[in-house]
Amino acid sequence: MSSCSLRALIEARIPSAFASHKRLESRTILTGIPEVDSLTGGIPIGALTEISGVGKTSVLVSLLAHASHEHYCALVDARDSFDPATAEAAGADLSHLLWVRCGKTRQKLRPLEQAFKVTDMLLQSGGFGLIVVDLSDIAEKVVRNVPISSWFRFSRVVENQHTALVFIERQPHATSCAGLVLKLAAAPATFSGKLLTSFTLNAEVIRARERKGVQSATSDFSIKAQWA
Amino acid sequence: MFACLLIPDFPVQAALLLEPKDTREVLGRSPIAVLDGPTNLLKVVALNDAARNVGVKIGMTKLQVETCDGVSLRNRIAVNEESAQDALLDCAATFSPCIESTCPGTVILNLAGTEKLFGSPEKTACKIAVYARQIGFHLRIAIAANPDAALYAARGFLGITIIPEGDEAKELAPLPVGILPTTPELLEVLESWGIHTFRSLAALPTIALVERLGQEGLKLQKLAQGHLARPLLAVESAPKFVESHEFDDPVETLESLAFILNRLLQQVCARLVSHSLATNELRLTLDLEVREVQNGKTGEQYRHEWKLPVPTQDRNMLFTLARLELERNTFSAPIQKLTIEAVPIKPRIAQGNLFAPPTPEGEKLEITLARIRGVVGNTDAAGINCVGSPKLLNTHEPNAFAVQTFSSATEKHDLSAGSPGIALRIFRPALETSVELADETPHFVRLWKKHRRVLAASGPWCSSGSWWNSAVWSREEWDVALKTFDGIGYYRIYLDRLRKQWFVEGVFD
Repeated sequence: MSSCSLRALIEARIPSAFASHKRLESRTILTGIPEVDSLTGGIPIGALTEISGVGKTSVLVSLLAHASHEHYCALVDARDSFDPATAEAAGADLSHLLWVRCGKTRQKLRPLEQAFKVTDMLLQSGGFGLIVVDLSDIAEKVVRNVPISSWFRFSRVVENQHTALVFIERQPHATSCAGLVLKLAAAPATFSGKLLTSFTLNAEVIRARERKGVQSATSDFSIKAQWA
Repeated sequence: MFACLLIPDFPVQAALLLEPKDTREVLGRSPIAVLDGPTNLLKVVALNDAARNVGVKIGMTKLQVETCDGVSLRNRIAVNEESAQDALLDCAATFSPCIESTCPGTVILNLAGTEKLFGSPEKTACKIAVYARQIGFHLRIAIAANPDAALYAARGFLGITIIPEGDEAKELAPLPVGILPTTPELLEVLESWGIHTFRSLAALPTIALVERLGQEGLKLQKLAQGHLARPLLAVESAPKFVESHEFDDPVETLESLAFILNRLLQQVCARLVSHSLATNELRLTLDLEVREVQNGKTGEQYRHEWKLPVPTQDRNMLFTLARLELERNTFSAPIQKLTIEAVPIKPRIAQGNLFAPPTPEGEKLEITLARIRGVVGNTDAAGINCVGSPKLLNTHEPNAFAVQTFSSATEKHDLSAGSPGIALRIFRPALETSVELADETPHFVRLWKKHRRVLAASGPWCSSGSWWNSAVWSREEWDVALKTFDGIGYYRIYLDRLRKQWFVEGVFD
């Protein structure tokens, strides 16, 4: 049997067996931090992004503040640690933000399971430009046990949607399923006299699917306190 | 012209209205009797033709009916009949704005001026019959020049009857005088005179009749001649979109409840559609059976209310919302009665925008939010919603917020994007801690079961509020840098000056 006839036979049974999967045109949502945006090109829409390390919440709040003016956003807060006051001070449109506070009631599912299930529902519902899942306060050993198939599933589901899916964690876990992995680190904070005034952060792109040639790029930037 | 819509065997058709269409058709052909009265002396008050054919009669006791083969029995439920009457009025309202609710199972409508819309009286009657069949009614329809002629024609003749103007006496002639609204004594007098039909009553000399029976006799004769003209007592009250069902036996399973709930919602939505309305507020009331009636306790009720951000007529969406809510709850007793009420509102008219960013679809979003609430719960211990849009409260108290209903129909706010700032991750609830002070500045903070040395401290920042009521608060905040196992961490701690207790509020991240 020739390769052509074999291919035809397989395609007759499984039509999409040899179909090439075309990605949607690359679009991004800017974080509002120029250094991070120039480093990453923005948070990719239709891909899974991981942000980890010290300073992740500041980047998250800036991202929400920037995205909520153009998109409806959802924040799946696995440990209910989001501070609306910080987000509003950063300029976020809170009326465009759906905040899901997991782990607040006695439910059968644990917070991580709740967060994943809710994320699934939001992705299926559609219409959100940005879905952020905050797993920062979930124990590292618990997140590490999430099977790779879960990350892969999220990655495939979001691929066909006009949604940016962002996971906020202590350490990245999605490996090759992530379209962008951003790791942050902080230098000691600056105190002006007795006043905490700013953080100096270092952002490193661990993985960027759209920018394969510039992996491990880093950038330093400073974030001021709102009162500074 | 006036049309009379009459539901024959009204209690039977009302009892079958909640059944699915196919089941209703099958049941309608089988013998059915409706019972009413004290529990120990239930008697037949209504039955259909199939039941008459097997020998069932009005007034028979339950025991007597049970001797007849294949007769299914239903208890008479007032709320079902009210719902059926409302549905009949809605059906009539589709064809004319001027309607009279004459009696249960009968409405009269004024067809003046509707010819251009619906055609001749014959065509109008056919359209009414088809529409009523879709709702679940088998009607008798009569059209005549005055309301009473139409009413008695509907009571006396099967199917559709059209009486041309001027032919009322001729058309009504064969009807029995027993259907006229009079006293049994007067009927007995007419019987004794040998007056059995409208024809013989109409032919009596008027003056002689009035001399013997008075004005009552004159009225009966005019009715028999079809000449009594009167204005309609039009129904003016705004329609209420309420549907109820009382179970013969209280139900315990969700499936049984969901089946009836679906039917009720179908009726409510059909009525909303017929009035060109939608709803943005749905109320569910469940009357629970009380097993022990003590101290005059009449019963318990479970109520739930959905406020939707967008008006809808979508029965499936409303049913899914209600079912998700019922699945989440456990009731202390079986359910005796189910009531659904929809608050009417004008439907949403919105045009899509090709160039606008995608938004969550209103109806779909409501179901998604209900499902999410099923996973994470409705409210936390403080009664704040677990799902929704955050909103800061105007109290100046740190960490004071509410979570309001999220809607994809909110107006876009013109907020300028602020500059990125250091974000705080909140510990909810705040962690109780102990702090060692040196020169009135935190020196050691106990965190994660260890004393952490304070490397730098910024504070104190004092604030207080609500001193005029019981929610008084007063605190002294510090931002501290602590040496932790993975480097330096920046935390916000505060002293609750009323309780004299230190807390860790959150971490800067």
